[in-house]
Amino acid sequence: MSELRIPGSTRAAGPTAIQVARGREDVVIGDEIVRHRLASRVIHWVVAVFFFGALFTGMPIWSPVFGWMAYFFGGLSVCRWLHAWLGVAFAAAAAVMAVLWLKEMVFDKSDRKFNVVDYLRFSDREDPDVGKYNAGQKFFFWLVMVTGVVILLTGIVLWWPTYFNQTLRSISILLHDICFIGFFAAIVGHIYLGTAAEPGTFHSMTRGTVTRAWAKLHHPRWYREVTGERR
Amino acid sequence: MALQGLEIRRSSASLRGGGTGLRKMATVAKYIDTSTCIGCKACEVACQEWNDLPNAQTSGPQHGTYQTLPTMTANFWNLIKFREVETQDHGLQWLMRKDQCMHCDEPGCLEACPAPGAIVQYVNGIVDVDPEKCIGCGLCETGCPFDVPRYAQATNKMAKCTLCVDRVSVGLEPACIKACPTGCLQFGDKTALLEVAKHRVEQLHGDGFAQASYYDPQGVGGTGVITVLKHGDHPEWYGLPKDPTVPTTVSVWKRVLHPIGFVAMAAAIFGAIGHFMAFGPKKPKDSSRETGGEV
Repeated sequence: MSELRIPGSTRAAGPTAIQVARGREDVVIGDEIVRHRLASRVIHWVVAVFFFGALFTGMPIWSPVFGWMAYFFGGLSVCRWLHAWLGVAFAAAAAVMAVLWLKEMVFDKSDRKFNVVDYLRFSDREDPDVGKYNAGQKFFFWLVMVTGVVILLTGIVLWWPTYFNQTLRSISILLHDICFIGFFAAIVGHIYLGTAAEPGTFHSMTRGTVTRAWAKLHHPRWYREVTGERR
Repeated sequence: MALQGLEIRRSSASLRGGGTGLRKMATVAKYIDTSTCIGCKACEVACQEWNDLPNAQTSGPQHGTYQTLPTMTANFWNLIKFREVETQDHGLQWLMRKDQCMHCDEPGCLEACPAPGAIVQYVNGIVDVDPEKCIGCGLCETGCPFDVPRYAQATNKMAKCTLCVDRVSVGLEPACIKACPTGCLQFGDKTALLEVAKHRVEQLHGDGFAQASYYDPQGVGGTGVITVLKHGDHPEWYGLPKDPTVPTTVSVWKRVLHPIGFVAMAAAIFGAIGHFMAFGPKKPKDSSRETGGEV
């Protein structure tokens, strides 16, 4: 039986983009560019699973309006126990993610030109200097980091009723709540921009690659850096 | 288990209060006259016996007082606090006050509790905890201005005085009241006991305690425990807060942050939908994957 050949496939010429994406990123293979190597994608989804676990076990404790969520985990008592551990797991995973991504998330000079209104208008006036991550993405990363630290510390205070004084606990309730509201709003925006708003983006977080056209449109400087093309 | 025989006035983590408001019942109260309390601790023993609570371990650090334990515990709901205070007008005062749940009209524990029905206020004003519904988060302790609820690590539940609701609901007085030998403890309708308290305060005024008054703090809507104090201007001498209220943080959390949270959640979701309709997806003009609809 002869090997099945898909017309136009790059298999004959070498490894496919997805194979390359297991170990390396910022490489061009045919029409595709590897954006997120496997390790980056795995840690992203580990963080995501723990985040949503903690979110959905926390929301029924936050308000009885979301009480129905508790039944998916086995009741409110289970949520009270699970929420804390999922929160710790989220924090641990986010710490690993921070180490892996930190270098790419440092703000640089070109980020000063980022105009959030222009960006959200999806106008054709593209900033040619946007690198691998735009300032909004970097801001989201740092928001998650700072909020993550606050929600972890306040969560620890709320975890053990008897070990902390009530003033500290009541302040922790407020901060934990503010962090949750911020996280909820941020995750809605994150999911929306990563899926419906910018087609092609979700693929980069599942299979690791984007098309040249996608890279040229959303991250022109990064595109030039990886392809060696000029402006 | 919460008592089935009494209707509920208010219930924790319920959006509309949790009560039906059908059957009205007079608010009950416990009357404590600290000026006639002799610190015999009969109430402590009665509480332990009636509620089948284990003997308290009293060994350990001594505090130089007659007090049984440093504070109430999850297995010790009724504690006479012994205090010595040097006063200007009356010299050294040896003050003793029976401490237990105050059964607030607007209970901070109930307001802070996130578990539906875990803390209830019966129609007669008694505030009780339902261990089956308690999730052991300890937020009731944060909400209480009197430092009453006790989280027990062993059971992962909160416990406190029930005002013997199981006795009261069948027409008996609480165990502590029944055991009191001096009559400094009384039980009944709150309105009637307020009259008793006023009368006793007048007597104390006549006895040279001009500052005597009864303690029924309005910051928590009044309490189900009326405490007569010889030194009414100094409730802190008895270990009582001067103007107790539900902590501001708890009220802000439930009454301000919750509405803001719901609005922010809705705004985020509708914002995303609105943005998509107004500005549409951003995609390259000449790429098959993105224009083909695959994400």
